[in-house]
Order: sequence, then structure tokens, then C-alpha cells
Amino acid sequence: MFTNTLFLLSAALTIGGAVAVVYSHNLMHACLYLLASLFGVAGLYAVIGADFLAATQLVVYAGGVVILMLFAIMLTGGTGNKINRYGLEKIASMGNKKTYFFAGFAAVITSLILLKIIASVLRAQPTNKVLAANDVTVNKLGVLLATDHILAFEISSVLLLGALIGAAVISRPRKERHD
Amino acid sequence: MISLASYLAISFALFVCGILVMIARKNIIAMLLGIELILNASALNFAAYTKFVNNNLDGHILSLFIIVIAAAEASVGLGIVIRFFQLRESIHIDDAATLQN
Repeated sequence: MFTNTLFLLSAALTIGGAVAVVYSHNLMHACLYLLASLFGVAGLYAVIGADFLAATQLVVYAGGVVILMLFAIMLTGGTGNKINRYGLEKIASMGNKKTYFFAGFAAVITSLILLKIIASVLRAQPTNKVLAANDVTVNKLGVLLATDHILAFEISSVLLLGALIGAAVISRPRKERHD
Repeated sequence: MISLASYLAISFALFVCGILVMIARKNIIAMLLGIELILNASALNFAAYTKFVNNNLDGHILSLFIIVIAAAEASVGLGIVIRFFQLRESIHIDDAATLQN
């Protein structure tokens, strides 16, 4: 019962936040709606027993990425900058009759392919191999990261170092040449 | 109610919203928001398949790496956006049409 309620709330938060990101006219508001959507995804992780993933999602996204986005919006002029208030109002003029015809054709073919794939997925769904409900995954994840996936772990540490140095070098203040 | 199909539907909705943001918006930071939505959709898919299809934790590992890569991508991307704003005083995507000057 509690799990079902949590699932419904998280799903509503996720999809509502994502749709609000699409249709918001203010970029600052869109960033906060993205935060709501990421909270919903963390709740969805918690529902299926991925406790460490939920915590990581909250720490990295809510504490890091969204704050970084807000800083970037403010450093590029905030909502006083006209482009930051630019929403989807130009989307009605994006196509004519020909492009709409091709887009509808592509949508029909894509939906057929998706129906084919989803039907096979739903038919072959094994339900007997489900993780135990209250199993803590942190121990197993730590062991897996340090044994089976050690190469990817090290490579990601090098990637993070590169991203750190790259971001610092790219966004440093411009030096004036005096020679 | 909590099944693989519902998780796939949620992540499909997230993915479509991200693609829509990336197509329709002309603001570079808003396109980065769309990329975050798409990466979250794929990470959610990995976690759902770990829960409902196979019960080893490799999907969780892949989701963790997706989160790490999203953080790195966001930091470098926003650094590039701020640098571009210093040079051009604009963050419209159509202004970023040339590589030099």
C-alpha cells in the first residue's frame, strides 16, 4: 500500500516535472521543474529497492547538477536575458504540410516498431526472478565496483579528473595579450 | 501496478520530453536540461531491468556510471556555455555556427 502510493506519487512527479520542463516559458522555472522530475526518479529508484542509486541521484543531481545549471543561467544574464525567457512559442511555425506528412508517416512506422518490441517484452516477462524487497544493495554494489567493474571505475575516475580540469580551463577568465 | 511495463512507460515519457526539449528549444542551457532528462530515462531503464528481469546488480552499476558521466558532461558543457557567452554575449544555438571567430 505504502509502496504503491510512493510509486504513484513519484511517477506523477517525474512525468509532470518533465512536461513542465518542456512547456515552461521561464528557464529558471524549467530548471526547478527538472529538479522535481529528478526527485521523482529518485523515488522510483527507491520503490524498486535501489537504495544506493536513489541516494546518489539525490546527492549528485539535486545537490550538484541542478545548482550548476542555476549558476550557469544566472551567469548568462538570468531571466533579464531575453533568450532565457524564450519558450516554445515558435514551434507552431516549424513545419508546413509536407513536413507534417513525412512526420506522420515516420510516427506510424515508429509506433508499429515500438508495438512489436513492447509486445515481445511483455510476453517474455519472467516474474520469478525478482530481487528481495528489503535487500540492501550497498554492500554488493561496493564489492562489484571493486572487483568485476574495477576497470570502468578507474576510467570514470580519470574521466572526472579530465572534466574537472577541462571545465576549469575552458571557463577561466580571458587573458589580455600585451605583447 | 509496479511492473516492468509501467517503468518502461515512464522512462519513455521522460525520453520523449527530453527529445522535445532538445528539438524545440533554441537555448543551449535548456538543451542541456533535455540531455539530463534523456540520461535519466536510460538510467531508469537499467534499474528497472535489474529489478524485473535479472537479479544481478550490473544494471545498478551502469546507472551509477550514467550518473557520473552526466555530472561530468554537465560541468564541461556549462563551462563551454559560459565561455561562449563571454565571447558572443548570446546563448542562442544558431549563434554557435562557426568553429573559429
